[in-house]
Amino acid sequence: MTARRKLLVRKAMAHGFLVCFLILILVPFIMVISASFRQGNFAPSRLIPDKVSLDHWKYVFGIPYQEVVNPATGETRLIKPTTPPLFWFWNSIKVSFLASAGIILLSGSAAYAFARLRFRFRSITLNSLLILQMFPMVLSLVAFYVILDFTGQYLRWMGLNTHTGLIMIYLGGISNYIWMIKGYFETIPPSMEESARIDGASRWQTFTRILIPISLPIFAVVFILSFVSYISEYPVASVVLQSGDNWTLAVGANSFLYEQEKLWGRFAALAVLSGLPITVVFLMCQKFVIGGLTSGGVKE
Amino acid sequence: MDGSFPIRQILVVLVAIPVLYLSFAVYQTGNFWIALSILIIVCLGALIFLSESGYTYRYLFPGLLGFGLFVIFPIAYMVFLSFTKYSSKHLLSFDRVLVLFQQETLPVGNVSYKYNLLAQGNDQYILYLEDEKNPAKRFASEPFELKAGEQPNGHQEPVKLGALPPGTQIKGTVLGMAQVAREKLFIPMRSRQFAMPDATLVVLEGLQRFAPRKRAWTLNADGSLTSQKDGTVIRPDFKLGYFVDSKGEKAGIGFRTFSGLENYVGILTDPRIQGPFFRIFLWTVGFSALSVALTFSVGMLLAVILEWKELNFRSAYRTLLILPYAVPAVLSILIFKGLFNQEFGAVNEFLKSVFGFAPEWETNPWGARAMILLVNVWLGYPYMMLICTGMLQSIPSGIYEASAIDGSNPVRDFFGITLPLVLPPLIPILVSSFAFNFNNFNLIYLLTAGGPKMVGGGIAGETDLLVNYTFNIAFRDSGTNYGLASAIATLLFLIVGFLAWINLKLSGENAKL
Repeated sequence: MTARRKLLVRKAMAHGFLVCFLILILVPFIMVISASFRQGNFAPSRLIPDKVSLDHWKYVFGIPYQEVVNPATGETRLIKPTTPPLFWFWNSIKVSFLASAGIILLSGSAAYAFARLRFRFRSITLNSLLILQMFPMVLSLVAFYVILDFTGQYLRWMGLNTHTGLIMIYLGGISNYIWMIKGYFETIPPSMEESARIDGASRWQTFTRILIPISLPIFAVVFILSFVSYISEYPVASVVLQSGDNWTLAVGANSFLYEQEKLWGRFAALAVLSGLPITVVFLMCQKFVIGGLTSGGVKE
Repeated sequence: MDGSFPIRQILVVLVAIPVLYLSFAVYQTGNFWIALSILIIVCLGALIFLSESGYTYRYLFPGLLGFGLFVIFPIAYMVFLSFTKYSSKHLLSFDRVLVLFQQETLPVGNVSYKYNLLAQGNDQYILYLEDEKNPAKRFASEPFELKAGEQPNGHQEPVKLGALPPGTQIKGTVLGMAQVAREKLFIPMRSRQFAMPDATLVVLEGLQRFAPRKRAWTLNADGSLTSQKDGTVIRPDFKLGYFVDSKGEKAGIGFRTFSGLENYVGILTDPRIQGPFFRIFLWTVGFSALSVALTFSVGMLLAVILEWKELNFRSAYRTLLILPYAVPAVLSILIFKGLFNQEFGAVNEFLKSVFGFAPEWETNPWGARAMILLVNVWLGYPYMMLICTGMLQSIPSGIYEASAIDGSNPVRDFFGITLPLVLPPLIPILVSSFAFNFNNFNLIYLLTAGGPKMVGGGIAGETDLLVNYTFNIAFRDSGTNYGLASAIATLLFLIVGFLAWINLKLSGENAKL
């Protein structure tokens, strides 16, 4: 066998392997899309729906439609969701966006102090942040409940079953992001800030006018990662948000599946509708994300 | 900055005033210590933002405050609860249980009264009673407050009733029984006691009538209670969390109390807890280790293939391969729940038609475990692939050229050169991935909810991770036990915290962070 042939065979093998692997990765997505257009509520199991219907999509958008109750007599009933599932997606976007913005503010300023300023207990604070954050958020639920129940007695908009309360809780998860941003700040030589200081700029000015503009990529990474993780957060949201119109995507999507009658079609439509934009945005930003991931050790 | 518009000072005042008001409001409702804490935090914040010496902490204060409230406080609270008896059997505080005893009454005599409630506006009501056998005996109460649907907290003094002379009318809108029921006024009414002119108590019996009762227990000076029925004396046993009589029989419901190390000892010695605990611990460790090993292997394999410069369509492959990382995990997990559905799911339909067998993904523990690992590899490999790609790109290509001269092949290159080079700096990432999976609550909760049930394991499931098991102990309706859950959570935290600490040491040596 010549070297050239050997190379071709190897290439073919590599392509073959990758294509097979991609089929495994892509088939679930195709099946969900198909389940969302399939009549009836079946678990995703077909690549192409046998009977096409837009009912699930109508449901997700809150458009009323007629459902056949009895196929023999053709009897129908009007279906209209009390809360259009689209609304849950909007709630998720709102909560995740505001929480991520807050995360950026809090972790960015703290990271600045850790990277550029010297103070007592600096390294021990930094290390404790990382270790304490390992405590799983789910197990803090009892305490979250107590806190929000308490604040809700004085400020109703910050208590249980409010988005502000949930966002407040999410703002606690800053330590990984502090570490990421701090790592990035430290790769930027402080000489530019120092010369600006000599020219009379205050620390705040060097932070906001020099360091932040240079560090925009890492802020983008932090924003995307925290946004995606809050979109997927289930347990805390499910305990804090009690009424259906307040639910986030994760809570709402699961609500289709924990009842006796599993509503796969509706779930599939909601999953496609909400998963698609998030995925597309994530893929568009992938350069940032990959750069951020590989520049420093980051948790999933 | 000096001499410029004092924007910082104005901001501090604008934030501080509402918070000070909140502190005052909290103080007024009797929560002295919480009000004090808020006050201290406001003062600290004002000090940091106004004085020059607090400059450094201006950057830290907001972040650390949030971290303290939503990370450190919950941990402290959990550790505190782990030393207490606090469960569905010991739900209320001692004071509350004592009040319940004091409110307990016994029926006396065979008189009963019809009633009307007269609304006076502003949640104020007057109760009107009329003897069922002797309509001339009529009574009216002084106005009292009822909040519809709310059970009042704490001990309330009985409302006084006065005899009503014949012919007198009482002001107010008369509410019939139907209205009382509809507006849920019977809920606060039921826990309200009314005192007749001769000091006997009357309370609501059912929905229809009032009947006289006497207190079932009297409180003695030494804190014990004496039964008015048979004279038994019960006193609180703070170790047991119950009121007990002289023979040690429990009376009434339990209360929250300190239990020392009892919860921790229970984990190690009580066979009902210990058995499932160790099995779940083993599965948690196995699951985390296998997840890391498998996602790393798959991710590394793909990264190596995609680093092959002569391969076409590399960037297209890479984009499609990170799809599982881009789709919100909660959706992917639920999608897989459908695909692996034992009867109708796509996986089994495919396996049945091609290989003629259908594994029990839901009812067989090993089937469920295999499914969880498969799904987790699917979810987790893109992250490893991205990390490994970064690592591979940092290896100078000269090394391979030297080995190619020696007549090496790709497999030997990989295990001989690449892996020894990239593995050490990857260790912190592998450890943190292990810790992440150790507490991967979402995956298990949404995919199997811990099922199938562990035989003889109570609420433990065969696929529960420790964190899920703890969650079940704390929140599943049947066996709510916050104390025990907190103890397990504390142990969990020690394990994962230790891993994080090791990781810090490792990454400190490798990356000089």
